[in-house]
Amino acid sequence: MVGQPPSGRLNLLPAFRLRFTNRTRIVLGAAILGLVVFAALAAPLIAPNDPNAQDLLYTLLPPVWAGGDWDFPLGTDGLGRCVLSRVIYGARIALLVGTIAPIGAMVIGTFIAIIAAYFGGYINTLVSRAVDIWMSFPPVVMALILMISLEHGLKNVILAIVVVDWTRFCRLVRGETITLMKRDYIPAARIAGARHIKVILLELLPGLFPLLVTLMTIEIGIAIIIESVLSFVGISMAPHIPTWGGMVADGMAALYQQPVSLITPVLAIILTVLGANMLGEGLRRALDPKLITRANQV
Amino acid sequence: MMNSLARNIELPQAPDNTATSDLTLQISGLTVRRGGTELLRDISFAIPRGGTLGLIGESGAGKSMIGRAIARHLPAGFVVESGEIRLAGRNLLDLPEAAHRQLLGRRIAFIPQEPMSALNPVYTIGAQFREHLLRNGCPRNEVRERTVEALAEMRLREPRTLLDKYSFQLSGGMCQRVLIALAFCTNPELVIADEPTASLDVTTQAHIVRLLRQMQENYGISILFITHQLRLAAHFCDDVAVLYAGEVTEYGKAMDVLSAPKHPYSIGLSGANPRFAGKKGPLISMVGKMPSIEELPSLQGCRFVTRCASATPECGVAVPAIRDIGGHLVRCLVPQAQPLTEEAPPFVTDRNTADAPVLTVDGVSKVFGGGFLKSKHPFVAVSNASLSIHPGEFVGIVGESGSGKSTLARIIMGLEQPSSGVIRLDGRQIGASPEEWRRRISAIQYIFQDPNSALNPRRRLYSLVTQPLEATGESKSQRRVAANDLLNDVGLAAEFGERYPAQLSGGQKQRVNIARALCARPRIVIADEIASGLDASVQAQILTLLQRLRAEYNVALLMISHDLAVVRHLCDRIIVMYRGEIVESGATEDVFASPVHPYTRDLIAAIPSESAEVSWPPEILS
Repeated sequence: MVGQPPSGRLNLLPAFRLRFTNRTRIVLGAAILGLVVFAALAAPLIAPNDPNAQDLLYTLLPPVWAGGDWDFPLGTDGLGRCVLSRVIYGARIALLVGTIAPIGAMVIGTFIAIIAAYFGGYINTLVSRAVDIWMSFPPVVMALILMISLEHGLKNVILAIVVVDWTRFCRLVRGETITLMKRDYIPAARIAGARHIKVILLELLPGLFPLLVTLMTIEIGIAIIIESVLSFVGISMAPHIPTWGGMVADGMAALYQQPVSLITPVLAIILTVLGANMLGEGLRRALDPKLITRANQV
Repeated sequence: MMNSLARNIELPQAPDNTATSDLTLQISGLTVRRGGTELLRDISFAIPRGGTLGLIGESGAGKSMIGRAIARHLPAGFVVESGEIRLAGRNLLDLPEAAHRQLLGRRIAFIPQEPMSALNPVYTIGAQFREHLLRNGCPRNEVRERTVEALAEMRLREPRTLLDKYSFQLSGGMCQRVLIALAFCTNPELVIADEPTASLDVTTQAHIVRLLRQMQENYGISILFITHQLRLAAHFCDDVAVLYAGEVTEYGKAMDVLSAPKHPYSIGLSGANPRFAGKKGPLISMVGKMPSIEELPSLQGCRFVTRCASATPECGVAVPAIRDIGGHLVRCLVPQAQPLTEEAPPFVTDRNTADAPVLTVDGVSKVFGGGFLKSKHPFVAVSNASLSIHPGEFVGIVGESGSGKSTLARIIMGLEQPSSGVIRLDGRQIGASPEEWRRRISAIQYIFQDPNSALNPRRRLYSLVTQPLEATGESKSQRRVAANDLLNDVGLAAEFGERYPAQLSGGQKQRVNIARALCARPRIVIADEIASGLDASVQAQILTLLQRLRAEYNVALLMISHDLAVVRHLCDRIIVMYRGEIVESGATEDVFASPVHPYTRDLIAAIPSESAEVSWPPEILS
């Protein structure tokens, strides 16, 4: 070790500086999300057991490395259900909520934001006040109240998240649109004879694209967390559908006997959100209009 | 390396051969390098005590870098390769860091380019003086007195009340005066002024230059005056050095260089500025542009060779030595005696205005703010403005910033709604319906001031110049054909169609901006300061282009500008706006020959003349 050059590969310290290049950020984020997508799509093929099969004779089995059974690699929960299978099936709900809810929030929030910013005046004032009031409610509490008044089920969970979180898009997109509206190419397009809808679609939207991609990936993480919170308190999906939040609630009860049944869904949530955020940050940097300009310069 | 040392042996002296001990600043053989590129090459000049040297060059010539080399404030990666910077005989490059820092502010002071951003907005003017004076050893109990004195010297009214003001409460001209006071209050030997008037109105510029000269006369301070305006430098400075691509190309007495330039670049630069007196003539527009940093290493010989009309094969081989030709130093193998002439486009000066006007503006006013329950005071941007434009006529609107000229133009285009008044196109009032909007835009087009903002960065050029065809639903191939014609009209090659705006130079972007306005074949084009902010040679290209387009398409132009020389060169009629009102209008020649309104007289007097005989700045300005 003494003769090791300062820049030698065995020196582990630089590896801990966590200085990702942007490429690593995008690749790693996409890989994590890819894994979740794969788990969700291939769940019946890769899950060792039926996620809802109870076996009260084998409750709270430890994972294999703690003397468990290879039939249940991560052990079983308090009702004797396979933890691994439930985490894999839980990815389906996470994925559905994590894609549909952000798209819904983006479409509604962006539409309202552009209308407000483009036409200005009273619409703009009205929208920004509404968003201010809306955002003053704690989002999770608002979603809880909504879910209590709605029925269980995927559709309603997504609806609740969209209703709560469209404001996040609306506020930021409105600000960005107002900035873009100050560029002379907007009136220039009007003078060139473009109708309002053309100005919005051809001049404004392409400029908003980097922001939308970033917000979208952030929203994936947020939607997954909100869904987990809702299922944690048991008002998200019907009881027979495995969700990560529901698993956390179940695992809490057996925290001392079988901690893995709690840690597994928590890790699944953390990793998925981390992956989404890394991908979002990576894409934001890659799509930054200033960086685009500089890269294209001859 | 050997070569540059050899050249250093014979130090070029200031043309009047002042003794070395009397020189406040002497730079000799200064070479600044980044990597293998010599960004400044063999810069030599000197400023005698109480003298003024103008450093003239277009953007990218390296003129600000000389100031930064003196301040030891070069960007990362830039190193002083060789040469000397002597302040009163002492080489600044040999001084240790701390000793050098002691000189800044005390013996060398700076006046920056952007007065508004150079003052810290969170401190009062008084606090900034206090800090500066205390740092430079002024006794605590004298600070206030010295500050008030310094401000009073700048003819700032009520200097005492100014102490408690913040920079954002002052106008640009006032900020610049405060900064000049700040620079002079420590009684330095050398003041480096980097484009101190570039962001100010012409009348303010004249005031500032007069104050600078007065301060210099009172205290015998030497000034290094960095500017891109040849005429301004010639009138303000004793000597001038013309800088091109990091080299001094011509150096001599200011009036000699102005009236009898020898280097082809100086000749081009002086011919690119529209003449302000005498007969109007075509402008010299030099081809191409200044080489970029990346292109410099490939230029073995004279750096101007790519644009020079009289270049010989030898010019590209070795760097020409700077030598004395007819009283001033010129770095050229083939110095010129006569201004270059080139084939001029047909120069139309007079138009038949007997036809009915295509556009009339009748009593238009615009009031911002005010109204019921509004806290803001109403601001009258345009008040009762009337004008008319005939087919093919070039009309110029001049005025200082805030005079309402841009607002009036935007109202005519329909980008703002007038508070009152009528705009008629072909004698018929323009209404508010979508059909009327189409009637308006098919006849009137607008060229925005800043092409960076007016061109969508995500569109390719062919799509940008044919944007008006989008609404009529032309096919993509039709648009490409039209784009080639338009690009050709503004002097850009067809290959440019595939590029993005970010890949163009400032002048090229402005051409695209013009091409788009012409696409709809309008009868009137409104141009908002399209030539300002461009270097003189690029501005000349744009102005020549507008004249050529006029001859080809008989288009009328409403040109908004603060530059009277540009308006005089281009326009048949001139409209002077002052504080929202049209104070004078008439045929250009008449207005220039006998201005009636005092503001017009000030405006005309504020322009530095191209003639060496006329003294400038004038002593009396209201």
